[in-house]
Amino acid sequence: MSVYITSTGAFLPGPPVGNDEMEEILGLVNGKKSRLKRRILKANGIVTRHYAIDKDHNTLYSASDMAVKAAERCLEQSTLSSSQVKMLSCATTQGDMVIPGFGSMVQAGLGIPEVELHTTHGVCTCSSMAIKAAYNNIRVGDQPNALVVVSELASRLFKNTHYEAAGGAAAVNFDAEFLRWMLSDGAGSLLLEDQPRGQCLRIDWIRSYSHADAYPVCMGIGATTDPNDTRTWQDFPTYGEAEANGALLIRQDIRLLETIVKIGVDGTLKLIEDGLLDTDKLDHLLCHYSSHHFKSRIYELLDMAGARVDEEKWYSNLYTRGNTGAASILIMLDEFLSTDRAKPGDTIICMVPESGRFNVAYIHLTVVEEGNE
Amino acid sequence: MSEPVVLDRPDVLTDLGQETLRRLIRVWFDFERRLARVPIIRRLDLGQFNLQDYQNLLLNLRPQVVEGARWIARGASSFDRDYADVRSVIIGHAKDEHRDYEVLEADYVTSGGDLQTLQTQPRNPGSEALHCFLMYRAGQPNPVDLLGAMWIIEGLGEKMANDWAKRMEELIDGSKAFTRFLRYHGDNDDSHMDKLYGLVDRVCTDEGAADRIVRTAKVVARLYAMQLEEIEHA
Repeated sequence: MSVYITSTGAFLPGPPVGNDEMEEILGLVNGKKSRLKRRILKANGIVTRHYAIDKDHNTLYSASDMAVKAAERCLEQSTLSSSQVKMLSCATTQGDMVIPGFGSMVQAGLGIPEVELHTTHGVCTCSSMAIKAAYNNIRVGDQPNALVVVSELASRLFKNTHYEAAGGAAAVNFDAEFLRWMLSDGAGSLLLEDQPRGQCLRIDWIRSYSHADAYPVCMGIGATTDPNDTRTWQDFPTYGEAEANGALLIRQDIRLLETIVKIGVDGTLKLIEDGLLDTDKLDHLLCHYSSHHFKSRIYELLDMAGARVDEEKWYSNLYTRGNTGAASILIMLDEFLSTDRAKPGDTIICMVPESGRFNVAYIHLTVVEEGNE
Repeated sequence: MSEPVVLDRPDVLTDLGQETLRRLIRVWFDFERRLARVPIIRRLDLGQFNLQDYQNLLLNLRPQVVEGARWIARGASSFDRDYADVRSVIIGHAKDEHRDYEVLEADYVTSGGDLQTLQTQPRNPGSEALHCFLMYRAGQPNPVDLLGAMWIIEGLGEKMANDWAKRMEELIDGSKAFTRFLRYHGDNDDSHMDKLYGLVDRVCTDEGAADRIVRTAKVVARLYAMQLEEIEHA
């Protein structure tokens, strides 16, 4: 059975925030301006993003609030009402509650009765796996439709007060500060159905290749800065001590980060070798690169391997919508479809490399028209 | 005598040359993941690498570095007149590196190691397997698959040596005094890699040759990682 993405929706909280306004909202650590901000922003190329918190650090929208708003926008443009949704497949890196699963909060917010519920948890690729679970559920005939909802609220992690509690300037090295100028907030949603409606997207296949067996953690929260300390945050007597030891700061191991390019290219070459992908026939590449720097690296390596995807086929809204982690690829797809670039018969690949502990996911789509497939 | 091959990275590859390069790139990525699992490299990635690790690394690398020049020189002598252009490139390469073990020895001594210990260190089981495989392949007529071996060994220099050296310096004492061997390869192996790219089209003359190049790259990658794994048991 074929499965189609028949509607999409996105929600970005508040007005766009420019590079000069970021620190005003996130706060000055120990009253001092960041010395790394400019350098990191120059590399990632992001010009505006959105935050769900204000400069007084009030949360204006929770992660589940944003999820609900994105899902409502998706459903508004579909022929279904929320009560007709049969499966709800949600993903987030970090919801509002630690327990229960994020999907439960989103279901409650949307008021969908008796839905089949699924939550994935991880980093950027967990949304692709939420889509895959929904896709397979429809494909085997268990459900006629599934709503995928992904939301990220990273800005709460970046309040100056968290860095101060972890030791202030001493705690804010490059690895700890890096993501502060990378990640922002937003939510996206897709409706999957067992039949096409109007011009929509057929899902051809979804694959992912994880390499956590080979590499150490590259991005995470929960461990201390001391590589010889194996404790994670719940191993401390109190959460206050965990925070003071830096175990609640989100950190990126910059030295390992370049690996993300290699796993992204390696997965693409594997798909070519396996006969699933032909880059010559591809019309659009939606790549969730976290930083403009990585785009050129991926492009160069694919070119060297004889699998170049021409510049004009690349699409990303990273620069204006920011890096919203797992939600990025849905927010990107939603905006891409609104540009009318996609024509019937076009093929699209969504590529999502993840640096958490190195995973990469791919979604291959074909633009189809109802009654004309 | 044939003209030497063009040494620049080629813009155009034949279909078979391009396919072989793509396969070699995947062998390389797999090799990097294999290396990342090796205990001594994992310690380096996690910032737990110390002077003892560094000395053990040099101790276990030296036998292969000493032998390295020999298999390249032997390989060069196995190319007949139809491959005289390839032989020129390989001879040049052998000349560049046939005494680089002396730099490694000096690094070991500067780091506080004893020269006698270094020079009498036998090959570990991984080095033994790597050495024997390379000498065997290098003795075959027109051993074009050595390109696969060089892809891995020169690739290490080009892609890893400088990063490793920098990290080791940070973790040990911030000094560059005893990482000259790694730095040399980090600084020079990119020109060696350019020569390799120049050879891809030349030696990928049929599917059989392409398969042998990829197979040799895979075997060398496996045995090189084994050489580093065996440091734990040396």
